[in-house]
Formats: sequence, structure tokens, C-alpha cells
Amino acid sequence: MAKRIEVKDLDIYYDKFLAVQGVSMTIQPRSVTALIGPSGCGKSTFLRTLNRMHELVPNARVDGKIFMDDDDLYGAAVDPVNVRRQIGMVFQRPNPFPTMSIYDNVAAGLKLNNKRLRKAEMDEVVERALSAANLWEEVKDRLPKPGSGLSGGQQQRLCIARAIAVQPDVLLMDEPCSALDPISTQAIEDLMLELKEKYTIVIVTHNMQQAARVSDMTGFFNLRGVGQPGELVEIDETTKIFSTPSKKATEDYISGRFG
Amino acid sequence: MREAYHVELDNLADRLSGMSSQVADAMERATRALLDSDLKLAEQVISDDVKVDDARADCEEKAYALLALQAPVATDLRIVVAALHAAESLERMGDLALHVAKAARRRHPDPVLPEQVRAAFAKMGEVDVRLARKAEEVIRTKDVEAARSIEADDDEVDDIHRNLFSVIMDKDWPHGVATAVDVTLLGRFYERYADHAVSVARRIVFVVTGRMPGYTGSDV
Repeated sequence: MAKRIEVKDLDIYYDKFLAVQGVSMTIQPRSVTALIGPSGCGKSTFLRTLNRMHELVPNARVDGKIFMDDDDLYGAAVDPVNVRRQIGMVFQRPNPFPTMSIYDNVAAGLKLNNKRLRKAEMDEVVERALSAANLWEEVKDRLPKPGSGLSGGQQQRLCIARAIAVQPDVLLMDEPCSALDPISTQAIEDLMLELKEKYTIVIVTHNMQQAARVSDMTGFFNLRGVGQPGELVEIDETTKIFSTPSKKATEDYISGRFG
Repeated sequence: MREAYHVELDNLADRLSGMSSQVADAMERATRALLDSDLKLAEQVISDDVKVDDARADCEEKAYALLALQAPVATDLRIVVAALHAAESLERMGDLALHVAKAARRRHPDPVLPEQVRAAFAKMGEVDVRLARKAEEVIRTKDVEAARSIEADDDEVDDIHRNLFSVIMDKDWPHGVATAVDVTLLGRFYERYADHAVSVARRIVFVVTGRMPGYTGSDV
């Protein structure tokens, strides 16, 4: 659990278009790394390369290397599905399987991974995942009800429970709170701080205060120019980025000096 | 929207440099009132002090509004926090000039200072005013080197202040206890004034570099 990710000279392409260029960074285990930057700078694209979801887009590809501990994620013999099992993802809009019950939503990942568990074992996994997502107390009496009946914040925590039920090593979150109210946002942020004890968490967020609150490290992505690829401008400890960043572009962005 | 915010930040710095100029004038006049037993000048310093107090309250209000409404970070945040501290130091400098002026008024028409220590106070007054004017310049230009040079000037005041003690403590001091107390307190006012000017300068170094000079803790 909680593995380190090492990215080396990563270029990301959509067909011939170079979307992100030259990203190198180390993501430490048991920490939250936040990625910030303007829309279209490639931070979500980059996030998706970490669990090979990026290549679900036709003709999308990468150059460079990504290692999880010592495993080359893009090695020739690596099954992308296996990568996605080890590196879970939570999206901007809560997306529970709408027709499935709360219970089945959490169990879905395990079932899809062909894990044959006895009922008692499955019950235990579901409870553990829902508890870890701070949702158990709220839903334990209505597990057979549809997941779509929960509030937005609860649905998002259900998605987190679903992601961690398969016991991934890394959890990727793509703007997980941008569709949530401040109360649900706080619940998710608290959850991140708990989850980082066990997982490596990478979060893309447009909310800079959120990055400042929850993350240990912050990476700033920016476009080199109009029509140019995105790049990682700098990554450093969050306190450093929000107090004395090394690059002027970072300071301008976090201070709201655009253009 | 964001532009208005940056104008507000600039205004905050303008306010502070304005305060520096006010307290420099105050100390210049207070010193003259002290040395020349000039009652009118002393009264002027005393009545003008309320302007410095108002400017400080205004700075604080502006700084709080910026914190509450704009959530500044990095350099912007340092400007706001430094402004809060600097405004307080500048207000204290104004108060210290006020104390000097009040001493001059209290003893009027007699001189407060015996001839023996006049030169020391003339010198401390001169350096204090120079420090406040430099602080004003440093706030305007954010010149880190100039800010650091203020500390060297402060040493000059400290030396004179220390030397005053040996004069007062001399067993042949002929001017009595009341005068000794006046001289001790006044010396202290001038010395503190210079210290506050140094503190303002340090805040500006902090704004520019992100590090508090003389602080040995972590970098951030």
C-alpha cells in the first residue's frame, strides 16, 4: 500500500498534438500532492496518465517513464487494467452506478476484478470501505437502496469508498469537490487527511485554498503559451508554494495576477 | 475586481510611508521643542499625534478587509501581515515623540535637559529622524539593502543611550534626582524609537525576501 510515484521526462500526446511536455516529479507515499494551474494546462491529462486512463482516448500516448515504486507502469508486459486497479480514481462529478444499491456500488470494483468473496467477507469489505470514507454511519441502515438517492457529498464519498474497496496503492482525485457545497467539501477534505495515512493521494483542484489546506506538496502547471504544451512550472512543499514560490509565474497565478 | 485589490495593496504601503513621514516630522519637532523649550512646537506634536493613531487604525481596517475578502497569499500576504506590524511600530514611534514633547511642555519654560547632555539628545534626535525617513524610503522602494543599513544606524543611538547612563550614574551628577529621571526616560524614548524603526525595516525585508532578518527558525 501507499507507493511512491516517480515521473521522468513525461510528454503526453493526443495524436500528433503535444499536450503536456517534460514533466518530472516524485510523488511521495502517505502524502497529498495537489496539482493546480489554469484550465487547459494539462493537469487533468497528466493525472490520467498516472493510471493509464489517458490512453482510453484514441491515439493518445505518452513518451517518458512513470514508475510506481520500482514498477514501470508503461512497461510492455503491463496490463493497463491492472494499473487502474492499483491506482484508483475519483472524478469531479460523483458518478455512482445509478441503478446499483449503495452496497453493490462499493462491491462493484471487487466483483469486476473477479474476486470471489463469501457474503460475510464481502460485507466486511463494504463496511470497511464505507467506514474509511466516513459514510458508514450515514448509510448502514439503507445499504440496499440506490446510490443515486444519496446527496452529492454522500455520493462523492460513496465513489471514494468504491475506489478504496479494491485497496489501491494510490488514489487520484480530479477536482473531487468542485460540484459539492462547503460542508461536503470539508467532509471530503477531512477524509483526504485520514486517507493519506494509508494511501498516496494526488488531487487536481481549481480551489487554491483547498490545495493549501489539504496538500503536503503542490505542483503548478501552466501553458507555455497559446497553442503551446502545458508544463510543470514547479513543485515544492505546499507552505513554500503559497508563501515564497521560486517562480514568478507561480506567484502570479496564486496571487491572482493573470495576464 | 482583482485590479482593485492590487490598488488596495498599494494604498496600504502608501499609508505606511505616510505614517513614517508623520512620525519623522513629530520627532524632529519634539526634539527641537525639547532643546529650545519651544512650547508651541511641543503643543503641535501633541495635537498631531491623533493623526498617526488614526492612520494606524485605518491601516488595520484596510488590512483586515484585504485578509477577509481577498485571501492574499505569498508576497501579497506578507505585505498585509507586515503592514499590520509596521503600523503598530509606527504608531509607537509617534507615541514616543509625543512623550518627548510632553516632557518639554511639562518643564516649560525651564529647559528639561542640563547642558551636559544636550549634545547627546541633539544627536539621538537627528539619528532617529534619519531612521524614520529611511524607513519611509524603504517602504516606498522596498530596497532591502537600505532596510539593512537602518540596523547599523540604530547602533549609533544605542551607543549614545548607553553612554548617557554613565553620565547620570556618576556620583558627582549635580542636577538632582528629578532631572536624572527625566534624562533616563527621555534617553529611553529615543532609543526605543530607533528600535521600532529597525523593526519596520525588518518587516520590509520580510515582505521582499520571505525571511525575517535575525530569525533563525525554518525558512518559511
